[in-house]
This record gives sequence, structure tokens and C-alpha cells, in this order.
Amino acid sequence: MNNILPSLPLELSYPLLFGVLLVAGMMGGELARLLKLPRIIGYVVVGFVIGPIADAMGMRPLIDEARIFVDLSLGLVLFELGRRMDVRWMRRELSLIATGITESTITFAAVFATLLAFDVQPVKAGLAAAIAMTTAPTVLLFMTHETRSEGQVTERAINLVALNGLFASVLVTILLGSAHFARDLDVETAIFMPFYLLVGSLVVGAAMATFTRVVARAVERSSDVHFTLILGMVAAAVGVASLLNLPVILALLAFGLFARNTERGHDLLTVSLAPVGRLLYVVLFVITGASMPLTALADAGWMALAVLLARAAGKFLGAMAMAPLGGLGIKQAAGLGLALMPMSTLALLMYHDIAKLFPGFGRDVGPTFLTVVIVMEVLGPLAVQHGFRLARESLPDETGAFRALKPGPSN
Amino acid sequence: MPLDFNRSDALTFGIELELMVLNTHNYDLSRGAADILPRLAKMKLPGEVKPEITESMIEINSAVNRKYAELSEQMVVIRDAIVGVAERLNLAVAGGGSHPFHRWNERRIYPTERFEHVSSLYGYLAKQFTVFGQHIHVGVENGDDAVYLTHRLAPFIPHFIALSASSPFFQGEDTSFETSRLHAVSAFPLSGHMPEVETWEEFNRFFDEMAGYGIVESMKDFYWDIRPKPEYGTIEVRICDTPLTVELAAQLAAYAQTLAADLLRNRRTEPIAPLYRVYGYNRFQATRFGFNAMLVYPYSRVQERLREDLLKTIERIKPMGVELGTTVALEALARQAERSFNGAGWMRETFERNRSLADVVRMQSERWAEVPRS
Repeated sequence: MNNILPSLPLELSYPLLFGVLLVAGMMGGELARLLKLPRIIGYVVVGFVIGPIADAMGMRPLIDEARIFVDLSLGLVLFELGRRMDVRWMRRELSLIATGITESTITFAAVFATLLAFDVQPVKAGLAAAIAMTTAPTVLLFMTHETRSEGQVTERAINLVALNGLFASVLVTILLGSAHFARDLDVETAIFMPFYLLVGSLVVGAAMATFTRVVARAVERSSDVHFTLILGMVAAAVGVASLLNLPVILALLAFGLFARNTERGHDLLTVSLAPVGRLLYVVLFVITGASMPLTALADAGWMALAVLLARAAGKFLGAMAMAPLGGLGIKQAAGLGLALMPMSTLALLMYHDIAKLFPGFGRDVGPTFLTVVIVMEVLGPLAVQHGFRLARESLPDETGAFRALKPGPSN
Repeated sequence: MPLDFNRSDALTFGIELELMVLNTHNYDLSRGAADILPRLAKMKLPGEVKPEITESMIEINSAVNRKYAELSEQMVVIRDAIVGVAERLNLAVAGGGSHPFHRWNERRIYPTERFEHVSSLYGYLAKQFTVFGQHIHVGVENGDDAVYLTHRLAPFIPHFIALSASSPFFQGEDTSFETSRLHAVSAFPLSGHMPEVETWEEFNRFFDEMAGYGIVESMKDFYWDIRPKPEYGTIEVRICDTPLTVELAAQLAAYAQTLAADLLRNRRTEPIAPLYRVYGYNRFQATRFGFNAMLVYPYSRVQERLREDLLKTIERIKPMGVELGTTVALEALARQAERSFNGAGWMRETFERNRSLADVVRMQSERWAEVPRS
């Protein structure tokens, strides 16, 4: 009998965890839908609830180790973001780059100045401000799919998010180098490390893209085959990047970018990653929610509110300021500004990566920063939803119109 | 209330083209019309650019022209302007009768009162109607001439189908037809051809009757292949797929102009009814087999291959072409017929090479934008 029944205490396993996160997340999402909120909010809130329960049951290590799901999903999102980023368009339409630089710079400056005003050390303030520049690509892409949004605002938002993610990663890498310098006075590390991280990511991205193209040319040109290829290569790229201690964010963005943007090469089909993306998204957002230390809210003070407002103002004003250059109307401009609001997994991962390398960072700006992310987890999707609606780019509900009409001649 | 037929100068002509608006990451249709149109409105163009029923379409109109060369030049100017605007918005535009793989349920109705009414009346047919056609207007001096030409151009409808056909793919599949677009048109209750009236007065009686039933309010409610357009003082040939290039669009218009000139000078007197007995059959043959279609001739009762009939017709109207200045266009069309090559053939070849419909559309948009080598 003893070897038939499981031994106590019961051990939770990954499949069970994955299943629970997926189903619980899905139900949270549908509940949010009933309340006319974006599904993401439901996923994240389920995560908020699961986090403390997991702690109480001693399951925290399992959730922390579930980082593999997060890395994979984020890898996929960044790859898609890189592929949607269009360098040729940016060359033709200079207002895009202008908007990208403006909104990133204003956001950085506003958050940086706010943190300095609260007596945060410049390097730490700089690093936090650099992360604040990013918009959550996960939230934006998910909302784009969910609201079936398309048009100038959507396309521009996607490209701007790729740009501010790129700027932020580069800036963080450089600032970390100078932080090393300040601490150890080790010039080699200070210069070599950023160089290694930046160039290394680009090389990995380019190499993965080249390899993918070569395989794509050799196999059948069907979307099923290419779908499998891309999924596998994205997972591998995430693995290679972490193996080489490179930032997954930059490496995957570069992979996506190189996989798309050559004038001649059209080896790789543009397949939709949505089917598997949806599953991963749910788990990703639940885990993100679960890994948020809600206790940070208790420690947060005026600084968090000030940073939140500074960031929001920076993004919004940056988008508005450059809108006339791109020929956007006032509603489109406001919609674009709103679409840039979300903060989520990407910011959280960047924060943890920095906190690991730079211990004082978590202590000084941790509660503030995490509070901002937690609040934006909820407000961000709402901002995007309203932004797309304002710009008239999300799919309106029009099924009612078909039914309302009575049969008969000449209505 | 009789429809007034506004007189216009005989044989002036112009065209309308419906174009696809595409995104550039997977070359699906995109709802870009609303972004393109306001930007084009600020430019000075020889024609007009207008919204169409779904936000993935734009319509361009040429001005009224007398000469093929003028029309041809004008179309290039308009084309270049649209391509330029689209590029800045990261959109692409292309010719072709239907989009090879879009899903009709994803289309969005352009927000005007008329389009929203059509959409609520016709349900999915309205979105299914995201197809792209070329309309050719030829000016006539009075309503009787309009009725006459509408009937007498009917036997040439298969020629226009074969020359312009460029919608072999629909919803992601090869339909085996040269043009699948015409099926989307046929689904509408008032499609087909004009009834066998012989004068403008008779036509007016027919129209009043239909209006009396409450079925129609204006000429716009008739989705015929050829119809009189009293407001413009023209007849409108609506059978063509939007070709893959503006050059072909202008050539097709020149063919219509030359045919009309010939028909007006050498008046036909045979009875009308037989024309429509074979009309549906010939039309089907052309949509399915293109240049290789076997056409039936109502008066002689012989069958002949479309290609030969087209080449003979072009040969016959050549002198008229010299008078009108359409020789270059007629010759180009004859070359196309000799090679039995049209947009549908080009699209199928492109698909064979690339095995990806997205690539076919991408190359369609490149072809639309390019200046031809000649």
C-alpha cells in the first residue's frame, strides 16, 4: 500500500502550478471582462491574490523558479516587438524617432529630477529613471491583440515602445558601468562590461536571426513550419543570452529586428504568434502579479506618487509635443500618449537585475519603484484601452447594428 | 420623377480605381484609409481621392479627359502621391481585384451614413464586398445614347474581364477562377445587367416602377456591370478588377473609349434580347478561363476563343484608335492577349515561386508603386 499512495507532505509540481496559474488567471480575466475592464487586470489581480497565498503555503520558491515561463514569454514578446519595429519607416518618417527621443528624454528628466528632489543618489536616480522610460511591451501587444486595434496610433506606439525599450536598456547598461566605476574604480570593468553587454546582445541577435533564415530557406515555406521554427529559436535565444550573461531584452529585440528588416531577405514568413502567445501571456501576467511585493505599497510615500505623476506627464507630453510633426490629430496624439503608459514585467525584470548587481538600489528606490509598477499594472491597461478608443483604432462592437434593422424595402 | 440625363461631350472619359490599403508587416488589409485620406486632401491632385465602404479601401478618380495620353499621365501623378503618403504612414497600397487572404469579418465599415446604412442592410455582404474594381466612364451626349451603349458594350464585357482579371485567390485559397471578385458583386440583389429598354424614356419608366416598389432610391442601388450614370452624363463600365498597374488601368479605359466611338459611328441594329441570353454564360467563361474562355455569339451561333475575338476586335477598331490617339494602348492590350497573360497569371506565378500569399501581396504593392520599364 505504501508505494501506491503518495508520500506526505505532498509536493507541488510545475505542471500543477502551470495549470493552476493558467486556469485561475483565465477566470480572473473573464471576471475583468464582465466588469468591462481589460483582461490583463484580471490576470494581474489573480497574481496579487496568489502571491501571499503561495507565501503562506511555502510555495514561494516554486513561483520564483517559474521565471522560466516569464523569460520565455517575454522573449517572445520582445522578438515580436523587434519584428514590428520598422527601421525603414523610421528613416522615412523622422517624426517617429523625434517622438521616441523626446518622450524618452522628457520622461527620464522628469523622473530623475523628482528622485533627486527626494535626495536619492544620482546614479540610483538615473538607473530608476532609465527603467521608467520603458513602456511595457507585453501590455501594449496584448492590448493590441485584445482590442484588435490597428492604425497609426497603434503602429506608432509599437515602434515607440521598441525605441524606449532600446534606449532604456542601453542607458541602464552604461549607468551600471559607471556605478561599477564609482564603487571599485576599476576602469576595465566599467568600460568593458557595457561594451560586452551591448555588442554581445547585438551579435547574439544577429547570429540567431541568420541561423533562423538559413533553416527557413531549407524547410518548407508553410506558416506551421515557420511558427515552430520561430518558437524554438526564441526559446533558444533566451537560453543563449542567459548562458552568456547578456541582457535577454536587448538580445531578443535585436533578434526580432534582424529577423525582419533587410531589404532583400524575405526568407521568414510573418507568422502570427498569437495562439501560443495568449497562453503564455496569461501565465506571464499572473506570475508578474504574484511576484509583486504588495507590502511595498505600505512603505510607499509621496515619492512614489511624485514619480508616478512625473513619468506619466513625461510620456504624455512627449507624445503630444511631437504629434503635429507626424500629422496626428489631437485625439490621436492623446491616444498615443496614453498607449505609452503601461509598466509591467519588463520594468520589474530590469529592476531585479539591477538590484542584484547593485545592492543599495533596492533599499533606496525599491519601495517607491515597486509601488509605481504595481499601480501602473492596473492603470496601464486602462490607459491603453482608452487611448486606442480615443484614436478610434480598437474594434467597436457593431454586431448589434445588423440585428436592429427591420426587413423591408428602402429603409 | 424623371431622371435627368446631364449631357456631356461624347467620348470624354475617366476612371475610378478602388485600391487596397495594406499594413507592411504581414501585408494584410489595414484600416488605413482614414489616415491616408486627410493627408491627400491637403495635396493638389488632378483627380479626387475618396473613402470606400470599408476602411481598407480608397478610391481614386481621374479628372475628365479627352486623350489617353493625358489620362495616363494623370494616373501616374495620383499614384505617386498616394504611394508617397502611404509610405510615410508605414502603409502600402496595391492593385488587384481582391485581397488574397484577408478575412472579411475583420473589415471595418468606413463611418459615413451611407456606408453604415449599406452595412446594416446587407450584413456580411457589405464586408465581403471589400473587393477592388475599376470603373470606366465614357461620356455620351444624351440618355438614348447611354442606353444604346450600355447594351452594345455587353458583348465586350468578357474582354474586359480577361484583360483586368487579378483576383485568383480569395480567403487564402486559389479559387481556380481568373477573377473571384465578380462573385462578391453577384451576391447583391440588384446586380446583373440593365433590362432590355431601348430609350432613355423607357428607362425612366422602368426606374419609376422600381422606385414605386420602394426597392431603389437612386442609380447607386443598381449594381449592374454596365450602367448609365445620368448625373455625370456617362455610361459606366464596372466589370474590371483593379489592375496591378495604373498603366493597364489607363489602357483599359482607352479600349472602352475606342469601342464606344466605333459603336456610336457604326450603329448596331440587331435585336438586344439575344445579347443577354448568352451574357451570363460568356461572363462565367471569362471569369473562369480568362483568355482561353470559349465565347458564344448570339447572332452567328458560333463559338470562338476569347483571345482571338479580342485580337480581331482590336484589329477592327484600330483606325478609330488612330483618330482618338489610343493606338499605343490598343497595341499593349493586344500584346497582353497574345501572351494570354494577365494579373491573375502574374499572381499565380509569383505564388508558385514564393509559396506565400503575403509575399504575393507585397510584390503586388511594389509593382503598383514602380515605374514600368518600356
